[in-house]
Amino acid sequence: MKQDTLRAREQRTGWLLVIPALLLLLLVYAYPILRAFGLSLFSQNLGTQLQPEFAGLANYSRMIADGRFWQSIGNTAIFTFSALILELVLGMGIALVLNQTFRGKGLVRTIAILPWALPTAIMALAWTWIFNDQYGILNDILLRLGWIETGINWLGNPTLAMVATIVADVWKTTSFVSILLLAGLQSIPQDLYEAHAIEGATPWQSFRQITLPLIMPQITIAALFRFAQSFGIFDLIQVMTEGGPAGATEMVSLYIYATVRRYLDFGYGAALVVVTFLILIVVVALAAYLIAKLRRSTGVET
Amino acid sequence: MFDSQIGKWRLHFRRFRWYGVAVCCALVILGLNSIAVSQQPITIKVLMSALEATQWQPLVEKFEAQNPDIDLEIIEGPNATNLVEDLYTSSFLLGNSPYDLVYMDIVWTPKFAAAGWLMELSDRISEAQSQDFLAGDLNGGRYQGELYRIPFRSDAGMLYYRQDLLSAAERKPPETTEELIEISQELQAENKIDWGYVWQGKQYEGLAAMFVEILKGFGGFWIDPNTQEVGLDRPEAIAAVSFLRETIESGISPSGVTTYQEEETRRFFQNGKALFLRNWPYVWALANAEDSPVKGKIGLKPMVYAPGHESAACQGGWGLGISKTTQHPDEAWRVIEFITSAATQKKFILETGYVPSRRSLFTDQEIVAKYGHYPQLLEVQESSVLRPPIAQYAQASDILQRYLSAALTDRMTPEKAMAGAATETRNLLGR
Amino acid sequence: MMTQRKFSVASLLLGLAIVLVVLFSLGPIIWQFLTSIKTNDAIAAIPNVYFPNPNQLTLNHYTELFARRPFFNYMLNSFLVSILSTILCLGLGSPAAYALARLRIPGERILLALILLITLFPYILLFLGLLEIVKALGLGNNFLALIVPYTAINLPLTILVMRSFFQQLPRDLEDSARIEGYGTLKMLVEILLPLTLPALVTTGILTFIFAWNEFIFALTFITVENMKTIPVAAAQLGGSSVFEIPYGTIAAATVLGTLPLVLLVLFFQKKIVQGLTSGAVKG
Repeated sequence: MKQDTLRAREQRTGWLLVIPALLLLLLVYAYPILRAFGLSLFSQNLGTQLQPEFAGLANYSRMIADGRFWQSIGNTAIFTFSALILELVLGMGIALVLNQTFRGKGLVRTIAILPWALPTAIMALAWTWIFNDQYGILNDILLRLGWIETGINWLGNPTLAMVATIVADVWKTTSFVSILLLAGLQSIPQDLYEAHAIEGATPWQSFRQITLPLIMPQITIAALFRFAQSFGIFDLIQVMTEGGPAGATEMVSLYIYATVRRYLDFGYGAALVVVTFLILIVVVALAAYLIAKLRRSTGVET
Repeated sequence: MFDSQIGKWRLHFRRFRWYGVAVCCALVILGLNSIAVSQQPITIKVLMSALEATQWQPLVEKFEAQNPDIDLEIIEGPNATNLVEDLYTSSFLLGNSPYDLVYMDIVWTPKFAAAGWLMELSDRISEAQSQDFLAGDLNGGRYQGELYRIPFRSDAGMLYYRQDLLSAAERKPPETTEELIEISQELQAENKIDWGYVWQGKQYEGLAAMFVEILKGFGGFWIDPNTQEVGLDRPEAIAAVSFLRETIESGISPSGVTTYQEEETRRFFQNGKALFLRNWPYVWALANAEDSPVKGKIGLKPMVYAPGHESAACQGGWGLGISKTTQHPDEAWRVIEFITSAATQKKFILETGYVPSRRSLFTDQEIVAKYGHYPQLLEVQESSVLRPPIAQYAQASDILQRYLSAALTDRMTPEKAMAGAATETRNLLGR
Repeated sequence: MMTQRKFSVASLLLGLAIVLVVLFSLGPIIWQFLTSIKTNDAIAAIPNVYFPNPNQLTLNHYTELFARRPFFNYMLNSFLVSILSTILCLGLGSPAAYALARLRIPGERILLALILLITLFPYILLFLGLLEIVKALGLGNNFLALIVPYTAINLPLTILVMRSFFQQLPRDLEDSARIEGYGTLKMLVEILLPLTLPALVTTGILTFIFAWNEFIFALTFITVENMKTIPVAAAQLGGSSVFEIPYGTIAAATVLGTLPLVLLVLFFQKKIVQGLTSGAVKG
């Protein structure tokens, strides 16, 4: 009896502590998403004097024929997957380096996480400057090396602009990946490697057979985080190219932003939000399933 | 920090207006109205690019000298037009626009009007008063029959040509697209000039502006604002696109035009590398500057057109509207009257070289003495055509730009591109 | 002999790798810094001037930044918004984290899964709905329009990090406190709070960094020049001049806008790493 009342009191206090945070999360996360689902069934744009008019699934059928939407999805996919793969490979490399013992390790580690901490919008300016066609340091280096004859207009060419934004994103976020992977590396007991080396395994073999499987959970989590963030990338692109040239770097997020802010097409913007949200959820669900499977198969407790 | 606090308080001031009203009433009741608050000058705010804000400074001083009861405050925005538009849009969208006047590009008018952010001005200006304004520019300020914007400085697209080379070849400036191609090919074949015709082919708003001229010149239309009908997939529109492609394919225009904006084409022409150029009025002064290789060798005329049709110039320009949320519409209107008056425009134009929105000024003695080509410019302005004055213009323009660019860079056939553009535009307009 | 050489090759490779990592991470920042202290002529020189001579040095770009724009305001705005949302976030997040760590609430697992899920949401998905809220509440050009979303955006990470911290605390402590008659709240404030200070600092720094760097809400909800935050103000310097892009001034803005964060990372590197890994991996 007394146990029960204590328990009930504990629960009441628990809810009391959780509810303020929960309410705020509902306001800032749940409301906008639910609202987008609702609004996506309405036309609310300049054609309707910004008044909502029920339109059924018209916004969605319009999306099917909207070449710009598909182009932005394609761009986002190219950007996300290129950046993701590069970040994982580079991040793994950096994590392996940081996992060695050497003098000045603390300082190097500090330097290596710096890019992650700096404002994306501001560092996008720095990258715009590096890729500048006239005075950019990248062209200067390539010219000095004799690899090119004249300066390349990086941000003015559709393909190169995509490459440039991917490079900037990789620079900015690889450090995040390497921090996570480093934590995974450090949790691997050293004697595993020693035992393996005695059996005559090469470093590459032990990397394949010990390191990779054991830090698979960290890799998956890093990939998941990075996927979600790249998929919604906004500030970097907005500052570097504004989605240009000719829409070659326009991501879904920029299209959503333009649809709402510039076109004032709230209904269609909401439909775009809903579709983007659903794509994200599907991928996250897949990844979560993968993680669960991995955890079971490797038996690693994280 | 304190500045921003004050700014915040100012913005919140409107919330306290009832409090203000109550205080005023109390003062009146107490018979203290002789020392009441209204002796302070009323502030009228308007946002514009930093560049133009400096050019406006003499006008502001003159206005304030004549109207001591009004304090005209110009807020400097970014120089990029789309950023100024974004700033206006955001401040209206957030519901507490700090601006009393809206200084707008002609293509913003329908959007701002449809969003309900502008005050109707039809009652404030009489038929007679509006007579002097260029018809195209004034109409660009209308949305669904109502007037929302009074034009201040105008703009229109036109054809520049090399007078010296044409005279030497004993040719008259071209009237039709066919003549333009023929003359170009002739002079290029004789090695008189590297290229025939340069125009703006990059995917951006300038492409749409250029295209409405060609489209109209081929007898086609983009969107009928009254019926919302879309004409982009009609034979006339496809013929217009085919003409632009032909200029590249036949070697009259460099293939680089598909990446050019106004400035690239102007430098191209100014360096003597092209016979014809499509551009805006600002080119004249620069191409005739002391250091220009083509100084004194150029002429201008209305745009070319397909045989059997007529010339068209894309109407551009800037004008003033009144924000619907302003507390001082009458004072704002007095600013508009002053700024758009013939006297003010004349002063502004003599100083800056912009194009007036009033017909009479094109033939004004002093102005003609300084800018000899203005009478021809009037001819161009009178043949102006509007980009569709529909609320969703920005979206429609982006659709057209994307498909047009695809057709011009040979990623799609004109037929396929225009069919796609038409379908998306119809979807947008809900037809 | 053999092993010696092998060792030196390995350490050479390692040294090379370390140099590459450092160059890769610092390169863009150093280049931006060098640009910010060069005269305009040196900036526009071809081939590029890498390290300016004494006569090519200038602080003009910095003075211009403060003369032309209310740059001091931008910094203060960013500080104000970041600090306030950090405090709010810790104030709301830590109690919730404690409840999720210690007090058995029904549906705890689902709550945690949801909280983990929303750390993945790109802000663009929230922007349309938040715009409506801001509009409805008349919060445009009010710092609350930034502080509230920033707080919410950082809550999930705060909750996850703090929760894993609370779980590591010995339970005995709370039990003996209870025996002495402390209520949950009193115990939280008087006993646990001092103990959790390091964890609070960790999550606080992460929150601060996120808030300082946020772009899309700051771009949308603030239109008054004096109230802009650093990232937005810096990004808009670029569009401020048609004829000449002020590269030097932009570089100076980059340096000043990133400086506070560089300092934070220098001093709190360990805490940041710890926070990120426990937030992301342990959740």
